[in-house]
Amino acid sequence: MSLKLLFMDELNGFYRSKVMIALWVGLPAMALVLYLLVSDTGGIPISQFTALLVSSIGGVLTSAMIVVTILNERERKVYDLFLVRPIKRRDLLLAKFGAVYLCVVVAALLAILLSALLDAFLNGYDVLATIGALGDSVLIALSMMAISCSAGVLIGVLANSMLVGILLVLYGGNQLSSLVILPILLGTGELWMAVLLAIAISSGLLLGSIVIFERKEL
Amino acid sequence: MVGDSGEMVAVRGLYKRYKDLPVLLNLSFEIPKGGIFGYIGPNGAGKTTTIKIMIGLIHDYQGEVIIEGRSTRKWDAQLCSKIGYLPQNTSMQEWRTVDQALSTFGRLSGMSHTDTDLRIKELLDQLGIIDFRHRKVGKLSGGTLQKVGMAQAMLHRPRLLVLDEPVAGLDPESRVLFKNLFRQLAREGTTVFFSSHILSDIEDIADTIGILGQGRMRYIGSMEALRDQVVRGQVIRLDMVQGLNDTTTLERLPGVSRVNKISDDQYQLVLQPQTDLDEVVDKCIRAMQAEGRRIRGIHQVRPSLEDLYMNYTDTGGMV
Repeated sequence: MSLKLLFMDELNGFYRSKVMIALWVGLPAMALVLYLLVSDTGGIPISQFTALLVSSIGGVLTSAMIVVTILNERERKVYDLFLVRPIKRRDLLLAKFGAVYLCVVVAALLAILLSALLDAFLNGYDVLATIGALGDSVLIALSMMAISCSAGVLIGVLANSMLVGILLVLYGGNQLSSLVILPILLGTGELWMAVLLAIAISSGLLLGSIVIFERKEL
Repeated sequence: MVGDSGEMVAVRGLYKRYKDLPVLLNLSFEIPKGGIFGYIGPNGAGKTTTIKIMIGLIHDYQGEVIIEGRSTRKWDAQLCSKIGYLPQNTSMQEWRTVDQALSTFGRLSGMSHTDTDLRIKELLDQLGIIDFRHRKVGKLSGGTLQKVGMAQAMLHRPRLLVLDEPVAGLDPESRVLFKNLFRQLAREGTTVFFSSHILSDIEDIADTIGILGQGRMRYIGSMEALRDQVVRGQVIRLDMVQGLNDTTTLERLPGVSRVNKISDDQYQLVLQPQTDLDEVVDKCIRAMQAEGRRIRGIHQVRPSLEDLYMNYTDTGGMV
């Protein structure tokens, strides 16, 4: 009950936040501007270019956003008023993770969909075929974002200063999320393995965050 | 069962340290049901730590806190529903409106949509901030935010209100509003526990006060009993022509419990209860003359409430 309520509540807050609005508009706009600025894309369609961009900066944005939110709320003792009510500490973290991840996923998918539409309009590509061809890339991007997001939760719970939190998430979180593509890059793994690896790492990070958060004096 | 008779809260042998810094040292006290309990102590004395243990925000401590017969170690929905909490500085997610914030807290406390809605209106009205209902929390002034904090504490009609320095930072008008509200809640049967580091904040409102000093409860009782000590308290101020190298002679005088040095040539002699003041003055004069010391003057001093408070909190003072 409290998890659902908190999730809906966080979602309500995030999707209307300035950061999310900037992301929802900014991500597709950034992809388009970069595409237009890069003189030679080697014939890469806009949608593929966007998928690449999303996978590289989507994770960074997600983790930075979640780490800033958690640290800020911890610092201002926002959680105190929640924790004196009959809710579980873990629900606070899971709700935040779920809401941020969902919002960023929607932003990423919107960016890719928009760029596929542009491809259809400008280059005459078939929208559905383009999206279908991007399926693997999108899955990898979403997997990486899941890891970044859960790393952001862990660092948000662990770090005691905003600067340390941001630095850790930019370096640690980003490096950790790239583990997903290792099996594919090395040619020893397949897509399902990457997705499974992402689920395992994300779950581990979230579990660690919950254990620490349960014991932490806020 | 402990804490199941007349008291709302029973705190037993609380011990808490932050790394090497002990904050609470075997703190024990009881809060009777109903009425207003003022918890006073200097900054850093451990008031907020006590409160956070009471409301289940700190788990790592020794001792026991029992609220209406239930240990706060087992923090559950039933216990939560009994307690309302207002932190020292109310902080909420800034993107929320007052209405959204209170609705969330109401729903998380197990209230229905309809009840939450009605209660929010009632409380905002009572606190004089109904016009701010749809204003973003981030746009509110400190005082208004504190009132919103008070509303969230009272939202689910708790039997115990735990308020951490609730009137600090409020303007005089809002202080009066809060104090009247505490009185009204106490009349309706709610137990109000609130902390402050300013004696004047609680002296006109608390039925019982507890003075925290050096991690222990130094005084617990009625305000009247504390005032009575002011009347009974006997202190002599001794002005010397020249300062004393040591005060042992004065300390050894029969009936003197303590000697405080005020300045180079001024001393305060705190007398034990029931001591004959004139006899001590007489003996003091003789003792000083025997040592060849010259006295400029001797005066009787009445301790103020602040002096008593300072004495209990061990931060100086005369009594």
